[in-house]
Amino acid sequence: MTELIERIGKASMDTTATFRDIIAFAFTILARMFQKKTYSSAMKMVLVNQIYFTSVQILPLFTAISIIFGSLLIGIVFQIIKNMGLAEYLGRILMGLVVTELSPFVTVLLIALRSSSAINAEIAVMKVNQELRTLDTFNIDVIDYLFIPRVINGIISVVLLSALFSILALTSGMLFSKVIFGMSIDVYTNVLLNSADFYDIVISLIKCCTFGLFITLIPIRSGLHASDDLTSIPVAVLHGMVDVFIAIVLIEVLSLILISI
Amino acid sequence: MFEDEVMLDKELSDFTANNKQNLGLISLHAPLISNLDVWVNIALIKQYHENLSKKTAKGLALHYLQRYRMEYIANKRNYALTHKERFIVMLLRAAMVKDALIVLDRPFMIIPDVQDDRFIYDALQLINDSFKECLIFDYTWFKDRYGIINAEKN
Repeated sequence: MTELIERIGKASMDTTATFRDIIAFAFTILARMFQKKTYSSAMKMVLVNQIYFTSVQILPLFTAISIIFGSLLIGIVFQIIKNMGLAEYLGRILMGLVVTELSPFVTVLLIALRSSSAINAEIAVMKVNQELRTLDTFNIDVIDYLFIPRVINGIISVVLLSALFSILALTSGMLFSKVIFGMSIDVYTNVLLNSADFYDIVISLIKCCTFGLFITLIPIRSGLHASDDLTSIPVAVLHGMVDVFIAIVLIEVLSLILISI
Repeated sequence: MFEDEVMLDKELSDFTANNKQNLGLISLHAPLISNLDVWVNIALIKQYHENLSKKTAKGLALHYLQRYRMEYIANKRNYALTHKERFIVMLLRAAMVKDALIVLDRPFMIIPDVQDDRFIYDALQLINDSFKECLIFDYTWFKDRYGIINAEKN
C-alpha cells in the first residue's frame, strides 16, 4: 500500500515537473518570437520550408478528409436537428460545432500525427548525431534557427488548415441543407452569417494558436531529451507523442470550460 | 601533436572555448547537418550571421565549390558524399566564419583514405584568402603523414 502511494506521489511529481518545464520552455520560445534579431535570412528559409512541408504538402489529403469527414458529419447533424425539430438552431449548432470544436480538433490531430512526430524524431536525431552541438560551435542559436520556425509554422498551419476545414465543411453543409431542409443557398448563407459570433471566432483562433504552439513545442522538448544513444530516439518520440496527445485533450477541455463561462 | 585522446580532447576543448567567436571547426564531432543540402550547410553561416539573402549565400557557396570543381555536389546531402567531398564541405563551412580560425581536428579520421597531408594542404591553398589562420590537432603517431620529423605539441 505504501509503495503504491509512493509511486502515485512520484508520478504526480514527475508530471508536475514536466508540465512546469513545458510552460517555462513555452515562455522562452514566445519571448524570442517577438524579438527582431530572431528573424535572420537563415531562419526565414527554414520557416518557409516548414510551412511547405506541414501545410502545402498535406493539402490534397487534408482537403479530401475535410470534404468527406465534414460532409458526413454535417449530414448526420442536419438529420438529427431535423428529427429533433431544432431547425431554428441550425446556424448556432453549425458554428459552435464546426468552427469552434470540430475544425481545430481534426486539424490538430492530423498535424500532430504527421508533423509533430517528424519534428520529434528530427530533433532527437540531431541531438544524437551532435548536430545541435555543431550549430552551437558555429554560434548559431538553435532556438532562433531550429525551434522558432517550427513553432511559428505550427501556429500558422493549424490556424489556416482549421479555417480551410471550416470553409469546406460549411460549404458541404449547403448541399445537405438543400436536400434535408429544402433550404436555398441564400437562406443557408444568411443563417450562417447571422449565427456567426465574434466570440466563437476569437475562441477558435486562440484555440488553434494554442494547439499549434504546443504540438510543436512538446515534440521539440522531447527530442532534446534524447541521450547520445540511438535507441533513445524512439523513446523520445514515444514520450513526446503521448505528451502531445495529453496536451491536445487538456487544451480542448480548457476551451470547453472557457466557452461555458 | 598529442600522445593520447584525453589530452587532445582537453586541449581542443579549451582552445575552442577560448576562441569561439571566430572558430571554424572541422571535426567528426561537428558533423554536417544531415537534413540540409551541401550548399545550405556552407551558406548557413553567412546567412545566419551576416543575414545574406538565400540567393547571395547560395551563389557564394557555389563559387567556393567551383574552386574545387565540386559544384556537382551542391544539392547532395551528407550521406551521399565521399570522404574527400565531406572534408571539402566541412572546410568551406568553416571558412565561411568571419576572420575564420580554422581548426582541423584529426583530419585523417575524416578522410581515412588519404595517406599524407597533400590533399589537406592543397585544399587549404585553394581558399587561403578566406581564413586568417589554420591549426591542426592530431596524434603524434601521424607525424609522418605531415612530414614532421620531430613531433611537437600543437
